[in-house]
Amino acid sequence: MTEKNIIQLQGIEKHFGSFTAVSELNLDLREGEFFSLLGPSGCGKTTALRMIAGFQELSAGKVIIDGQDMDGIPANRRPTNMVFQSYAIFPHLNVGNNVAYGLRNRGISKSEIDTRVSEALEMVELGGLQSRGATELSGGQRQRVALARALVMRPKVLLLDEPLSALDKKLREQMQFEMRHLQQELGITFVMVTHDQFEAMTMSDRIGVMFDGKLVQVDAPPTLYAKPCNREVASFIGEMNFLPATVAAETDNHLTISTPCFGTMEIERNPNVGQTGREIEIGIRPEQLEISAHKPDNYDGIVLGKIRDVAFYGENVHYHVQVDGVERSISASVPNYFHTVDYHPGDSVWLGVQGASIIELGQNQSKT
Amino acid sequence: MTRPSGLAIYAFSYLAFLYLPVLFLPLFSFNDGTIVAFPIKGWTLEWYRQLGGQETLIQALVNSLGVGLTAALVSTSMGLFAARAYVRYRFRGSEASEGLVMLPLVIPGIIVASSMLVLFISIGIKPSLTAVILGHTFLALPFSVSIMKSAFDDFDPSLEEAAFDLGSGVIETFRRVTLPIVSPGIIASLLVTFTVSFDEFVLAFFLSGNQPTLPVYIWSQIRFPAKLPNTLALGSLLLLASVALLVVAEYFRRRSSKSTI
Repeated sequence: MTEKNIIQLQGIEKHFGSFTAVSELNLDLREGEFFSLLGPSGCGKTTALRMIAGFQELSAGKVIIDGQDMDGIPANRRPTNMVFQSYAIFPHLNVGNNVAYGLRNRGISKSEIDTRVSEALEMVELGGLQSRGATELSGGQRQRVALARALVMRPKVLLLDEPLSALDKKLREQMQFEMRHLQQELGITFVMVTHDQFEAMTMSDRIGVMFDGKLVQVDAPPTLYAKPCNREVASFIGEMNFLPATVAAETDNHLTISTPCFGTMEIERNPNVGQTGREIEIGIRPEQLEISAHKPDNYDGIVLGKIRDVAFYGENVHYHVQVDGVERSISASVPNYFHTVDYHPGDSVWLGVQGASIIELGQNQSKT
Repeated sequence: MTRPSGLAIYAFSYLAFLYLPVLFLPLFSFNDGTIVAFPIKGWTLEWYRQLGGQETLIQALVNSLGVGLTAALVSTSMGLFAARAYVRYRFRGSEASEGLVMLPLVIPGIIVASSMLVLFISIGIKPSLTAVILGHTFLALPFSVSIMKSAFDDFDPSLEEAAFDLGSGVIETFRRVTLPIVSPGIIASLLVTFTVSFDEFVLAFFLSGNQPTLPVYIWSQIRFPAKLPNTLALGSLLLLASVALLVVAEYFRRRSSKSTI
């Protein structure tokens, strides 16, 4: 990854009639990075990708690719290529001709086309399958052909629209790593659109989270998980317990807060959260909570509660604990080390949390 | 096997009612006698042999083939573009225009024929094969539009986008991706519209003037009892050709809906 910005989106917008699909999106993508646009369906992420590709006209703003303003340049003359959600493999062409399709538009000699096609197919581990018919391919193979067909063009940016959503879970996980490796070997910028947070977190250098046409936060996956900029992002990525809190004192880097159940404690300020009032919201990841039958020592905040529900997920167990003073039960997860479920509904348990694990989420917006 | 139920008997007699009369055509075309009545006098291929020597018949056949081919080509190319627009785009008036295109299916032929005759004469097109071609294109259009629509229904729009994305221009995309993928539909449409035109009588009767198409020629021959066996033989051949064409067309139509992945 270099510091050069390969794509600059400057205030791009898309309106369909009175509906705003993408509103004032500003984003710089670095050369060689794997970037994901993550968000629920209908948040405008695919529209944004299609504006980069040139399939969707901009209502406002500028798309700049490698220093060149793309205004008026149609998709067939942009230095980008796309992997479509449906893969869009040409059904009337065999694998070799599918991959060679774009090269034939460029007046390249036949022998070079053949070489580049077989290289591209080797790269996606479909070597020698040139003469296989498009209709005889499995889902995973079609995905690989779509990748090879786009990469053989040596684009400056590869755009991927939900590239793994049509595959089953096992294959999807395998392809996540393969695509990541491919991207790192080639050093090409990948921009992927996905609604799957795990996919985005596994594959990406950085993730841009979109809601309702707006780009809300751009960060590396660990930062996004640890320091979400608001409640929406916090609940979209991973699981989160939300609690109200009141700020008692504040310094440049820390807040002293009082919570309804864990008492008073000091937490770190979240740099991604904007201005703060006195009534704020905090988040605690389930895996950051200690759960114990005995009163735990060495925790900044502890509370006694009652198990309401137990969710056994296999790799870990989630306990939903009802605590006085908090309406919704608090979820605490425990890794399944010993293949045991230690607590059962009705059991009294202690919850413990460190101030460092508590995430400040800014002014309390919830109406309750 | 159980005893045939009432429903099976009904279905059987229904089919017999539909197709038995048609079977008399080939049956009597081999009859060695000029009177169409049982018992069959003997078997002969004479009536078929005589067809070869009749020049007006050959001319009518050539007329029909020419009209059919032209009408099929014109209506299929119009249907191809219309169907793509109906399937791919939402636009104001799309339903109304589709309804208008389908209208010839329900307007009585005699009405269409007489209004076209009046129209063509008033704008200076004399009854001729050209007039028949125009009329048949109009009649065949609903068939080609509906066949091409089913071809485009299963056509993933991102295929065209992919071609464009890979550097093809609009025309290049149409030639290298759209056309090959809908080609089974195009073939099916050509065959069906050709058959529609080839079999059509009423419009051709009104508009053909002194250049009869085959159905018009047959009608003119039916008045002469001596020519009847010839007409039966000719009719049998046409029947065979029509059925063959429609079977092939159906094969391509099914292939077109299967070809997309």
